[in-house]
Amino acid sequence: MTSCLTLAVMHEGHSITTIEGLGTPRNLHPMQAAFVKHDGYQCGYCTPGQICSAVGVLDEIKAGVPSHASSDLGAPPEVTAAELRERMSGNICRCGAYSNIIDAITEVARRQS
Amino acid sequence: MKPFTYERAHSPAEAAASAARVRGAKFVAGGTNLIDLMKLQIEAPAHLIDVNGLALDRIEPTPEGGLRIGALVRNTDLAAHPRVRRDYGLLSRALLAGASGQLRNQATTAGNLLQRTRCPYFYDTNQPCNKRQPGSGCGALMGFSRQHAIVGVSDACIATHPSDMAIAMRALDATIETVRADGTTRSIPIAEFHRLPGDTPHIETVLQPGELITAVTLPKPIGGTHIYRKVRDRASYAFALISVGAIVQRDGTGRVALGGVSHKPWRVEDAEQEMPRGAKAVAAKLLAGLRTTRDNAFKPPLLERTLAAVLAEAKG
Repeated sequence: MTSCLTLAVMHEGHSITTIEGLGTPRNLHPMQAAFVKHDGYQCGYCTPGQICSAVGVLDEIKAGVPSHASSDLGAPPEVTAAELRERMSGNICRCGAYSNIIDAITEVARRQS
Repeated sequence: MKPFTYERAHSPAEAAASAARVRGAKFVAGGTNLIDLMKLQIEAPAHLIDVNGLALDRIEPTPEGGLRIGALVRNTDLAAHPRVRRDYGLLSRALLAGASGQLRNQATTAGNLLQRTRCPYFYDTNQPCNKRQPGSGCGALMGFSRQHAIVGVSDACIATHPSDMAIAMRALDATIETVRADGTTRSIPIAEFHRLPGDTPHIETVLQPGELITAVTLPKPIGGTHIYRKVRDRASYAFALISVGAIVQRDGTGRVALGGVSHKPWRVEDAEQEMPRGAKAVAAKLLAGLRTTRDNAFKPPLLERTLAAVLAEAKG
């Protein structure tokens, strides 16, 4: 979810994971490591959001949550470039690192499976 | 953002009573639209009533064979629900065509119905807007109106309702359940829920002050092929120029509701009689009395072509 469209007071007692909660410089989360390896950013401004969304996207695919790109609502969704592009569409990158971001997420998904 | 007070409600009746008691109070659930508008001071509630703690987040079968969707069910959960995917595919498809994953994770069923328009003149507080500031005029009528409505418009307002979900709800004949400030409840058919702009575009629904939506109920499924086709300026994460939600039966009969063309989800039951005769006949009746601007005159032919594509897809 997006922190800019909610109030902190509405989340008292909730558990919230931000980019700082995923990994550290010495112990990167696999998605952070894959973004570094595949050059999934340029200026870095959107990167925390991209990585948090990417982790969420793979969890949602695993949980069977459908998307606009899923051709069959009854079938479990697969990790395809079309699925990832649709599911990541809420994160804009004005440097245009999109294709490298897709490579990074695809690699993490492949290693998970 | 203007200062405001905040409380957490503990029951629907308590929330409704509180909203009626405090002047300028508003409910907040997902917050994806309201908090944005509060930052721009387009909405400036004096008091926020957080309804997230009310146990209205369940999807349950009804004795009639339908589905009762709690007001707080998130868009993601509704679209992914096995019964919705199987029996009300149009609703899943419409939800998944809207917003982004992050927003769908937050946005609620009731809040989706109550979204404000995305008209740029409503958002720009330097411009006149009868919806934001009644009596100030309409910037869109003679302005940039590519996104705007073509049916049910008035001289006061040509804004559209931005929801995709509501288009599916309209085609599915949903009913909106509410509780009022005095604790009484009522059921409102979705056809009667949203208002046309007329002279009072700032009044968008038939809800009374303090009235809280508790659930949306779907009648038992009607089968058929469910299609939601949304035409927009980019492939994802954009509002509709037009959208067509359709349920088509094997014999060619069915239902059609439109988004991006009016101040409310647009359905003309009479037009559905024409479905076996094809898109041109249906579109003519759907858009009877249409009024376009220079910028959105492309919408009627676009609608007819989109409808033709939907009917062809339904035939397989």
